[in-house]
Amino acid sequence: MTATTNTHSVRCQGRTITRPEVEDFLYSEADILDHWDYDGWLALFEPGARYEIPTTDYRPGWSPHETGSFVDDDWDLLRARIKRLKSRKAHAENPHSRTHRLVSNVRLSEHTEDSFRVAASFVVHRARDGHFDAYVGWYEHVLVPTEDGLRFRLRRSVLGHESLAAGARLSFIL
Amino acid sequence: MIVENWDQLTFRVNREAYRSAEIFTRERGWVWTHTWLYLGHETEIPNPNDFKVRTLGGRPLIFCRDTAGEVHAFLNSCPHRGTVLCRESEGSTRLFQCFYHAWTFRNNGDLAAIPDADAYESSDAFKASMGLRGVPRLEIHEGYVFVAFDPDVPPLLEHLGDAADYMTMIEQQHVGGMTTLPGTQQYSVRGNWKLAVENAMDGYHFAPTHNTFVGYLRESGFAVTDDNQYAYNLGNGHGLLVLTGHGGRISMLWEPRFGEDERVRTEQHRAEMAQRLGEERAHYVADESHILFVFPNLLLFDIEGLSIRQLEPVAPDQTDVRAWQLVPRDEDSAARALRMKTVVSFVGPGGLATPDDIEAYEAVQRGIQATAGTAVPELDYSDMSRGMADEVKGVQGRSTDEGAMRGFWRHWIDAVGLEDGLQVHGERPASFLEGRDVR
Repeated sequence: MTATTNTHSVRCQGRTITRPEVEDFLYSEADILDHWDYDGWLALFEPGARYEIPTTDYRPGWSPHETGSFVDDDWDLLRARIKRLKSRKAHAENPHSRTHRLVSNVRLSEHTEDSFRVAASFVVHRARDGHFDAYVGWYEHVLVPTEDGLRFRLRRSVLGHESLAAGARLSFIL
Repeated sequence: MIVENWDQLTFRVNREAYRSAEIFTRERGWVWTHTWLYLGHETEIPNPNDFKVRTLGGRPLIFCRDTAGEVHAFLNSCPHRGTVLCRESEGSTRLFQCFYHAWTFRNNGDLAAIPDADAYESSDAFKASMGLRGVPRLEIHEGYVFVAFDPDVPPLLEHLGDAADYMTMIEQQHVGGMTTLPGTQQYSVRGNWKLAVENAMDGYHFAPTHNTFVGYLRESGFAVTDDNQYAYNLGNGHGLLVLTGHGGRISMLWEPRFGEDERVRTEQHRAEMAQRLGEERAHYVADESHILFVFPNLLLFDIEGLSIRQLEPVAPDQTDVRAWQLVPRDEDSAARALRMKTVVSFVGPGGLATPDDIEAYEAVQRGIQATAGTAVPELDYSDMSRGMADEVKGVQGRSTDEGAMRGFWRHWIDAVGLEDGLQVHGERPASFLEGRDVR
């Protein structure tokens, strides 16, 4: 993680973005996902955005273009993933998992003129098929401020696990 | 355990094979102790002193390259009292030191030091007997490293039989050869390992199980069909699906979702292959997708891209899976990015297809409890008869038939040494189909 002197706010596109604003964005995203509102979730992305989950042996600096990963979605694949999850023929999520997400340790850092980075920790609890799993890790997101609020340019979930436990496949959005 | 009936054209497998702790123990003692097992790819440890640790058939191993460049597999256990010697998952080292009593070993297996060795009578002879325990057999075919815990297994190439050439075809895809990448998919499934094998050799499930993925392919401009897709029983438990009806192949078989730049790269690469390998061989290497199963624990998905998948049974109802992406060494970076995106969009626990496969065989594992210990024992069987009528007629089995699975099960029953495990009624047809030779 990049150490920053001030994680309360960043300057981006001539605006000051504060940590509570980013926290609200991440909390409402968690709520949208936990309510299985995948159209609502896709609306949080700017066109052309990406969604990534590296493998559990991930080392900082690895590029998904040069390594194996769990999810390496460009904009087309991300939309295909959402379309699939909304279908009753997405067998791995029919019936749906129940999830409950906790997001914390939110830190902001400046990246470029028009986007900024957010690091945060997550715990996602998931119940399905009589089993209960927990997924722990951190986010490495790139966000952009827009007229309509914050939007994802990159949404990356990095797992803290050594491997995915039995039954803990990533058939839902992590 | 298995009932093969050529009069009624049925092939049935008793569901105890997936459930029973006794069968699982038998598999550990027979299959996983007396058969060649896939350990890993040479390119996972490219440099002298590189190592990885890996469990195979429940045995912790160190997979390493010594200072001189030789590949080894050692039991990851101190010869002194059995402590796990290397507790890192990977790295580079010349020496492995046991933290418990500080015995130290070189990465070629030689004992380097025992603290206070004088306390042992005839210390030199004692030291000489205390090297790392290597696996009895290790052989490499096209970079795939296999080990056996039984010194008396036949040579690796004899075990691989017709499967060996499909591994060679993969190595021949690119002039500079292939390499594995970091970023290993490691996950675990609540299902018996044999269900993972069946699923991979089963084209019948593709359309219903992967309806959403097929829809995505169709939208991206690809006509998906089951035509000209075949299943082969390669003998020794190995199986092969030959697929031409779905999915393009990065750098070999273009389709619209890959984009125009990839079309140009593919044309150039195909011309180079035809020159290097000849038209006919280039056709087998490039135009067909292959899913190859090498008994008992290796699956090669030579489809859009290349995935190596290794199965590690943990319990009758649990299997650990490790999967690596195999790529051309000298690949254009745009092609590499397209490959990685395309491969993981299909395979792996976060893809658009594999989660449905896992759902299917986890559902089998739960569902087969329904007939366990039933008062009507003949109900407690899974059916794998599909395509037997064609086998009698001598018609090549389609990928949507279950012929490759039947080959697997016939070999499995031999490998676990269950007496009278296989009942054959009627006569196997003269044109009984086994193998495929395109060399």
